Amino acid sequence: MSAEFTPAAAALVLLLAALFVHDFVTLARNRRLLLVQFVVFAGGAALIVYPEIARRLAHAAGIGRGVDFVLYPLVIWLVREALLSRRRRHEAQERMTELTRSIAMAGAREVTSAKVNGG
Amino acid sequence: MRLAVLMPVFNEQERLAETLADLRVTFAEDSSASLTDVTVFLVDDGSAPPIDEAAARASTSLMRVVFARHAVNLGQGAALETARRLALDARWQPEAGAFDAFVTMDSDGQHRARDVLAMARAIEGGADVALGDRFKGGSDVPKSRRILLALARAFERATTGLRLSDVHNGLRGFGPRAMAVIRIRQNRMAHATEISRRIALASSQRTALDVLRVVEVPVSVIYTRASLAKGQRASGAIAIVMDLFYGFLFGNEPRR
Repeated sequence: MSAEFTPAAAALVLLLAALFVHDFVTLARNRRLLLVQFVVFAGGAALIVYPEIARRLAHAAGIGRGVDFVLYPLVIWLVREALLSRRRRHEAQERMTELTRSIAMAGAREVTSAKVNGG
Repeated sequence: MRLAVLMPVFNEQERLAETLADLRVTFAEDSSASLTDVTVFLVDDGSAPPIDEAAARASTSLMRVVFARHAVNLGQGAALETARRLALDARWQPEAGAFDAFVTMDSDGQHRARDVLAMARAIEGGADVALGDRFKGGSDVPKSRRILLALARAFERATTGLRLSDVHNGLRGFGPRAMAVIRIRQNRMAHATEISRRIALASSQRTALDVLRVVEVPVSVIYTRASLAKGQRASGAIAIVMDLFYGFLFGNEPRR
């Protein structure tokens, strides 16, 4: 199994490395998250540099191309993320509604008539 | 009869004053004398600039105005729900006892005070829910609206099972029993369908005690250029269907 180090692969691995450095600096406190992230990124980098891995896994699973082996789970995960964020937004909206409503109700007052002329 | 008028208002400073004046005059001239107490629950849904409550400074011995304001704009459904909660709140009950009738109406002059009275009368006459029917009331409904409303009617018939002549009409009357169960969770325009659905759900309960008596009352809806510009359009219908879908997906459905 040989490494395929094309310019595209180099750019992608560099992007991964940059992302990890960024998170290492900003998430320095959350060691566990960083570790998980490192494992996932390293796996991603391996798949980029050694496309043969994905190709063989894909064939073993009965999927045509190596790229699709990575792509299909990604699409499923993205749809799930989209639905979850919709729900979170929906719940946040409901909380905001209740908050706004209780402030409004607490501040409700009778508009007193300051001598209505001709009313 | 003690009447609560639920009125959401959003950026309608001028027409609000006219709408309130219409109510005041009509209630004062009402000769039947059955009306003893009217409270208008006015909810400013985050208008910019804020609604000047001086416009509501029109209380008479018969009619008082309770004013509340949403700090941010939430939508007509949310404002109606706030008005409903206020009207059921012990703090704002008339001295003589709880309200006998609740009428929702728009603040922009689309609805007439005498139709509000007609709604209240229908509730007084024993109905639990009175829905305005603009087609029988001699309103000059524009053609574009007719098509949209026909589609909405078919949609509601399919989703709620209610056979109504008019839907999405802001003029509605409720008795105390109905008002207690019409809890609105759809903040925006989908609340109209949600209300129909809650009526249908309440009435689908087998016990006769839970069934709501629904009547349709002819009303006139006045279409002005301003109300047409601000009102719902075809794209709004898509937004309503999406809101209903998300409500269904994330648990906005009224619980049985």
